[in-house]
Amino acid sequence: MISFQNVSFSYPDSERPAIQNINLEVAPGTLALVIGESGSGKSTLLRCVNGLVPHFSGGSLQGNVRVNGLDPVQATPKVMSRHVGFIFQDPEAQFVVDRVEDEIAFALENFALPAEEIRMRVAEVLDLLSLKALRYRRLETLSGGERQRVAMATALVMRPEVLVLDEPTSQLDPKSAHDVLETLVRLNRTLDLTVLLAEHRIERVLPFADQLIALNVKGNGGISGPPRQVFAQTDITPPVVTLGKELGWQPLPMTVEEGRKFIPDIESRTPKSETIPTPVSQKVAPYLQIHDLEVHYGNQIILDGVNLDLQQGEILVLMGPNGAGKTTLLRTIVGLLQPAKGKVIAGGVDISNKRMDEICRAVGYLPQDPNALLFANSALEELMITLRNHAGKMDAAGEQEADRTARALLERLGLINQADDYPRDLSVGQRQRVALGAITVTKPKTLLLDEPTRGLDYGAKQSLAQLLRGWRDEGMAILLVTHDVELAAEIADRAAILKQGKISSCGDTSRVMRSSVRFTPQIARLFPDTDWLTAQDALIGIRQIFS
Amino acid sequence: MIHTWAWIGWLISALVALSITRNPLYLFLILLCIALVGWTQERRLSSESSQTQNLLPFSPFKFVLVIITLSALFNAVISHFGETVLFSLPEWLPFLGGPITLEALAFGAINGLVLGGIFAAFTVLNLALPVRSLVRLIPRAYYPVAVITSIAITFIPNATRQFQHIREAQAIRGHRVRGLRGWLPLIMPLLVGGLERALGLAEAMTARGFASSEGGNQTSQTRLGMVLGLLMLFGGWLLRLIEGGQLLGIGLMILGITLIAAMLWSIGRSVPRTNYNQEIWRFRDFLVLIGSMVVISAFLLPIPWIDQSTLHYNPYPILNLPGFDPLIGAATMGLLIPIFIIKPK
Repeated sequence: MISFQNVSFSYPDSERPAIQNINLEVAPGTLALVIGESGSGKSTLLRCVNGLVPHFSGGSLQGNVRVNGLDPVQATPKVMSRHVGFIFQDPEAQFVVDRVEDEIAFALENFALPAEEIRMRVAEVLDLLSLKALRYRRLETLSGGERQRVAMATALVMRPEVLVLDEPTSQLDPKSAHDVLETLVRLNRTLDLTVLLAEHRIERVLPFADQLIALNVKGNGGISGPPRQVFAQTDITPPVVTLGKELGWQPLPMTVEEGRKFIPDIESRTPKSETIPTPVSQKVAPYLQIHDLEVHYGNQIILDGVNLDLQQGEILVLMGPNGAGKTTLLRTIVGLLQPAKGKVIAGGVDISNKRMDEICRAVGYLPQDPNALLFANSALEELMITLRNHAGKMDAAGEQEADRTARALLERLGLINQADDYPRDLSVGQRQRVALGAITVTKPKTLLLDEPTRGLDYGAKQSLAQLLRGWRDEGMAILLVTHDVELAAEIADRAAILKQGKISSCGDTSRVMRSSVRFTPQIARLFPDTDWLTAQDALIGIRQIFS
Repeated sequence: MIHTWAWIGWLISALVALSITRNPLYLFLILLCIALVGWTQERRLSSESSQTQNLLPFSPFKFVLVIITLSALFNAVISHFGETVLFSLPEWLPFLGGPITLEALAFGAINGLVLGGIFAAFTVLNLALPVRSLVRLIPRAYYPVAVITSIAITFIPNATRQFQHIREAQAIRGHRVRGLRGWLPLIMPLLVGGLERALGLAEAMTARGFASSEGGNQTSQTRLGMVLGLLMLFGGWLLRLIEGGQLLGIGLMILGITLIAAMLWSIGRSVPRTNYNQEIWRFRDFLVLIGSMVVISAFLLPIPWIDQSTLHYNPYPILNLPGFDPLIGAATMGLLIPIFIIKPK
């Protein structure tokens, strides 16, 4: 169905190729997962399948690409759009009109298909993706998962043989992501649709993948094959596979269910969780206290009596479904929203009625989209601007001091070599760190982060985790909102779950994460009777048992 | 769903009524009718939505109030006519100096009511009709223009939301707008983000088979025909101004319009495109149209038992009570018919 032979591609004015010497075959009806770090060429590879590369991007393509017998370069994206459905990372960015039905019919109207056929196809695809109830809804009123399904419908209505998806679940909570992936698998199995998708959160997709394509592995262009075979050669692996590789399990387990086969031997020798000593955190007075917070939008109650404490030197991870009120909580803490009831205390001072710039000196807040913060000509200037905003006019000595502070922080963020670079030219992970620098350069005692790992690859996530741990050890209180269960397992000192505006559970990370199936990491599902949450925890635990 | 053309009829009747009368009582009544229709429409949309975000990025009610207030204040400081002097500004102030009168304030507020009413009527139409229905009104010959219009309309709420995000993001790093340079942190991310989004959308549309070259094939004949049609239209309009040339002028204008329509039809035929969702004209659409016709008739036609002199009102030289004909008031209720058709779920 899809074949790449010695394919290399370079973007215009780029010194190094985006993909190099790619050879792969994807058989009809396969669900293939593309993995690789940011900049490894995943998006480029996907765009070669429908001819967006090189037709839309420019640049030079070498080698042969064939999709269902067609050469996308010769055929052009217009012809390929009938064979390849393409779904982008942000579904909102690809919508042309404002209503579900109109959006689905847009491409068919464009191809001047007879009205009767359009009606039939639209009805068929609404049924296939369970979108009938949303047919006349405005797109802006849909949830993230619903929007992603509409985006799938707009592609499937063309009856393509191939569906290509670029990180389709990156903005979704675990449940919505699971629903979208289940729909995808159903389409793959029932319509014999070939699916090619790129994703950073590998553990979400791996249970469904027939084939794995890993790009830029140890300097090679890419490797492709059955997941087990490819994982043996790459370091980007989900926790169960990491553990399996470390412990030499054969055949290498791809899912928690497969991993359980290797457990009996370990489980019989594993001490139950209550006997495992857990580190006792020093009990100090909470730095940030949220008391009975209530926030309304019109008649709707978004936060309903939220109580939460955050101590200095602690990372508290807040999880919950989309629309539960997580972002609203963070915005209320920093004064962007006024609560109907309740108060927020930081360092013993009630900040509920303080001016926002006063609050933000004590509480730093990194919103979901770092691009909203960045506008200066260099990374260093971004940090300097925040310092100037807070300090007012600075004299020469003040400027020098600010420059020293900003450079020291950039060093710590691993961005000192990019100090003079234009922030929007940096990678997603680097951009995220510049934004983090612009927020934390005033050294707030508390840091609130809203979904900071969106679109970050494994390496970028690790460096962010390391940075946050470092700040935590220096006494910063960190509240992290995330859908990334595996990152939460790795980094959280405590965890909380927010559902329908209420804290449904809060406390010990292991207990909270095990309280809801959707928020349970792979290792916790593999070893339900232990306190282990990450592959590292499990390795240490198992080695202790066997030694 | 009310038919697109029925909504257009409703909009035209509201605009006709707003532009003909200066009587604040009628204007207030029209604005109230529009607001009630808008409120019902918004309630219906909100009942469909599972999301908490507002359907409009700002409050139209507050906006109309701002328009009325600004218009009243602006007129009061610019126009110094009227006999009821409230206070005086120093004479040495250029343009602004002089007496501030109640009449000027009232005249400005009336203008504000008209502007607010026009804004409210378009807001209701925007809430009631999907973008696609509006865009379908553009001739097929200009299909790419229709698509661009559609994108532009959907882009505005997105850009407004984006601006809100940027404003908040800058505020939390201590930014406050001081002078022109203070807008830079707000405008730059909006512009760059807008360009990035436009590029993303262009890529998505390419992936969905939309090619920019799909506009109508304009041959040299159709181009010539369009130019001729426009010339005839313009020439006819000029002829109408000359004594004795009125009939010839109207004839030439009709000929020009026919030629332009024929050329648009001819170009449109070469645009391969389907309108699959043909709307059905139902009895309820007829009712909306009748309501609109009643409003237009009461405000426009010389009906003997209606006192159309009450439509005119001038607060100068001294503020007086406007007249009110209950029949015109009752006819204005024709604007309310959509309320009985739009039912919240």
